[in-house]
Amino acid sequence: MAQKNKEEALAVRLVAGGATVLAVSVLSDSGMEHYRGSFRDPAMVLPLLSSAASIGFNARRAGAHPERAPDSEGTEISHLISTSIGIIGFGFHAYNVLKRPGGMRLVNLFYGAPVGAPVALTLAGALGKTADALSRNNGMIGPIDLKDGRVIAGVTSIGLVGTVAEAALLHFRGAYHDPFMWLPIIVPPIAAVSLARDAIDNVPRPVTTALLGTTAALGLIGVGFHAYGVARNMGGWKNWRQNLLAGPPVPTPPAFTGLAIAGLGALLLMRTAKKKRSHA
Amino acid sequence: MPDRFPDYDVLAKRTSPSWNDKTREVIDQRLSMPESCDALTEQQQATLRLVIDRVVPQPEDRASVNAFALLAAKIAANKSDGFRHHRLPPVREAWQRGLDAIDAEAKAHFDTPFAQLDAAQADAILSMVQQEKVTLAQWADIPAELFWSWRLIPDIVSAYYAHPSAWSAMGFGGPASPRGYVRLQKNRRDPWEAAEADSGILISAKRKNRHVV
Amino acid sequence: MSSDPQENPRARDGRAPDVFTPGGWVPMREHDDADEVDFAIVGTGAGGGTLACKLAEAGFSVVAFDAGPYWRPLEEFASDETHQEKLFWTDQRIVDGNNPIKMGSNNSGKAVGGSTVHFAMVSLRMRPEHFATRSKLGYAVDWPIDWQEMWKYYAQVEQALHIAGPVNYPWGPHRPRYPLRPHPLNAAAEYLARGAEALGTKWTETPLATVSAPIGKSHPCVYRGFCVTGCTTNAKQSVLTAWLPRALKAGAEIRDLAMVGRIETGKDGRVTGLHYIRNGQWRFQKAKNVIVAGYAIETPRLLLNSACDRFPDGLANSSGLVGKNLMVQLNQAAWGQVKDDVRSYKGPPSLAVSEHWNYTDTGKDYDGGWSYMSQGPLPITWAKSLAGGRGLWGQALIDEMARNNHSVGLKMVGECMPDENNRVTLADEKDQYGLPITRITYALTDNDKRMRDHAVRFMRDSLQATGATECWEEMDDTCHLNGTARMGDDPATSVVNADCRSWDIPNLWVCDGSVFPTVGGVNPSLTIQALACRTADRIKAMAARGEL
Repeated sequence: MAQKNKEEALAVRLVAGGATVLAVSVLSDSGMEHYRGSFRDPAMVLPLLSSAASIGFNARRAGAHPERAPDSEGTEISHLISTSIGIIGFGFHAYNVLKRPGGMRLVNLFYGAPVGAPVALTLAGALGKTADALSRNNGMIGPIDLKDGRVIAGVTSIGLVGTVAEAALLHFRGAYHDPFMWLPIIVPPIAAVSLARDAIDNVPRPVTTALLGTTAALGLIGVGFHAYGVARNMGGWKNWRQNLLAGPPVPTPPAFTGLAIAGLGALLLMRTAKKKRSHA
Repeated sequence: MPDRFPDYDVLAKRTSPSWNDKTREVIDQRLSMPESCDALTEQQQATLRLVIDRVVPQPEDRASVNAFALLAAKIAANKSDGFRHHRLPPVREAWQRGLDAIDAEAKAHFDTPFAQLDAAQADAILSMVQQEKVTLAQWADIPAELFWSWRLIPDIVSAYYAHPSAWSAMGFGGPASPRGYVRLQKNRRDPWEAAEADSGILISAKRKNRHVV
Repeated sequence: MSSDPQENPRARDGRAPDVFTPGGWVPMREHDDADEVDFAIVGTGAGGGTLACKLAEAGFSVVAFDAGPYWRPLEEFASDETHQEKLFWTDQRIVDGNNPIKMGSNNSGKAVGGSTVHFAMVSLRMRPEHFATRSKLGYAVDWPIDWQEMWKYYAQVEQALHIAGPVNYPWGPHRPRYPLRPHPLNAAAEYLARGAEALGTKWTETPLATVSAPIGKSHPCVYRGFCVTGCTTNAKQSVLTAWLPRALKAGAEIRDLAMVGRIETGKDGRVTGLHYIRNGQWRFQKAKNVIVAGYAIETPRLLLNSACDRFPDGLANSSGLVGKNLMVQLNQAAWGQVKDDVRSYKGPPSLAVSEHWNYTDTGKDYDGGWSYMSQGPLPITWAKSLAGGRGLWGQALIDEMARNNHSVGLKMVGECMPDENNRVTLADEKDQYGLPITRITYALTDNDKRMRDHAVRFMRDSLQATGATECWEEMDDTCHLNGTARMGDDPATSVVNADCRSWDIPNLWVCDGSVFPTVGGVNPSLTIQALACRTADRIKAMAARGEL
């Protein structure tokens, strides 16, 4: 493996780190929500297994010694499975919504299986695969060249928009009863647009870095807000068996953090590529 | 009929978040109510006991329901429901007259006090009351069908279904505050709800019901 | 002194209970009996409690009386049907007529907050045409108020109560979005939805006065299912939790355990105040205006019992209509058994609703409209239904009760026709206060019966369309009480005018369900509150013009 410059190595770690955070969010969220669904379909255990594997592989890639991360077939398969399960899960969740009386009506989108949630697993898989490809130096997935960071920026931007849509829907269910519920609807879309613009122009702007940083922080602060939301339910945390499920989902906001971190990795790659170009 | 909710006991949740302090206080008090009733004669009390037993038989293999104690307290207090059919007297008097009339009807038909009738005989008398096929003149003071549908039935079923044992037997969740329910869709059960026999695939209903807290 | 709120008044010494804090208090302005307050209000339910808030906020001095106790739901409500009977008006009343009404549990309350403390929270608007049934649909009588005005006030009440309702309401003219999103459907509601879809009619999530998100000090609903026995979490937006805290803050005084027995009239024919009993003592509160808001039984009772030399037939009764035109609503049901585990004890009892037959005028052999909702009866209620409706007792009853988790049902709220023979009168018997008790006479009209028959048939069809078997119809149930002091444009045919002001005595008002000329096919609480908001606005306007 050829020696990469430090910045490139950090960028790979950021992408893998983003994938790790996403997978952690998926594991805890699907664990809770599928427990609520009593694991009625045995397939409901699959996202738990694959997100757990995803955490294992991605965390090592994101860790202090990424060179020790295995480049085995197992990694490849794990990311592929994550990506596929996310897509299949999307289908299952959509079916769960549609089979309810009234089909595609808001109450079913509010309280049925969250349609967007499985896509987070797909993104974790895709980002994981991306980090793998980059660290193996050829930086290619099939014909797609990842090295200049623009593709990753694009994917991350789309992922952010999808996550915003999910948050917007579920915060609407909560009638935006707390003004802070608007934050994840306002900040991440700006970050996503800024990132997309950078990718299209191939110009990594400092403002995008700031926006992504803010989005990452929001995801963590969101955990605090959601925990407070749980406490505002009858019986508070003492009644956790009900309120963890009935209150706002504590593990979901870090999905923003994961995507934002990956986006920062993409920006870093773009900056490195730009430097290389100017040297040349 | 075999118990549909084997080993399910609402009282197992007494100290869980499903019960608040007020509920514990109220139910504790109900479970320890005295079985006596000064407002009724011995004979009336004996009649009432059998009437209750026939109208709402005790659950099998479960703690017995003290419907008599509850109803006796209501009769003693002459507690109004907020309305009275114009052809019926107030609670206490209605029960006194009604129980006497039932007893008299039993004596007229079987030459035996109602309290000593066998199940089939007792049911025959009660059916006569329900269908207003009674024969004695004293029912003029307490119209049989009205007594049945406005006093006897509502009072007895209300007393019986105020007891946790009756709730357990029907798979009712029982008290629910502060903790309510999360899984509202059909065929979904919160872990603190009764499991119905034969619904268990991996884990038997009996086992689930032992862990309802 | 005992702290039992049923024994000793709580709202006194400058403070009233804080319903949101166990053991808590909020400050309360108090008035002396000799102070001539602007408004003495009788009753603190949907009519009186709402008015107390609105009038106090408008700067009037207000004392609101309630015969019942002032509860703190968080610490004093149990999850128990029997114990919570303490919320019902269970003082003696005699019922007669061809269809004597069962009183007590589902149609009256004796508590600060009135029956909204144990109502099912269903918050529907009356269809526009139902405010003018005579001129638009050819039956009964028109309201003296235009529907558009009422709909404006509905919106105001929906905001105040944070109603959780569907994003798009499928019937009637456009309405603004409900402040909160709908609650999830429980299995029982799903059966209503599937039945409606099978029959090709619309359905929607029921607009409910229980919050689906944390609002102020109210926790979101936990779906415990004991709504009609009182909400222990304050998710329910009753008058007790929604209007009265605001009323107190604005300076209203609330007197709990204060039964009003008689309104006094002066030589000039105006009322001068009211007699009430509190702590075992009869007292007299002076007032510039008296508003009676005791609901359709206690309101006429008080007006009739306040008869004096000048008004020998009772107050506001020159039309002879006080106590007449009592209207219940049809509350019949269809039930069935399904394979699914339904457990309808979970969640508010009526999470889905169809107003199809409120908004459809064809295919009927009767006048009037009705809605129907999914149901979730608690054990005692269900046992009474089975024992009363199907005549079950003995092991048959016990066995049927054990199948309760697989029972589903639909229940109607149907418009009964006004009929002067349906009435409230005073009996000779006296109650614990020494006041004459009421005799309530009721018979369903032929039109009511035709509506009932159609409704139970339709609801049965709906259940069967979802695969329910063993269907049966519960024919003997009514709910809500309206009429007995109807409003109108003509003093000869009504008791109060559109402003809820009595025709006979300018400073005597009636504002509760009694003033309804017709009832429509929806639960009345939202309409009563809208009417109270309108009345408050009218009073403000009249006061500003010096017309009080």
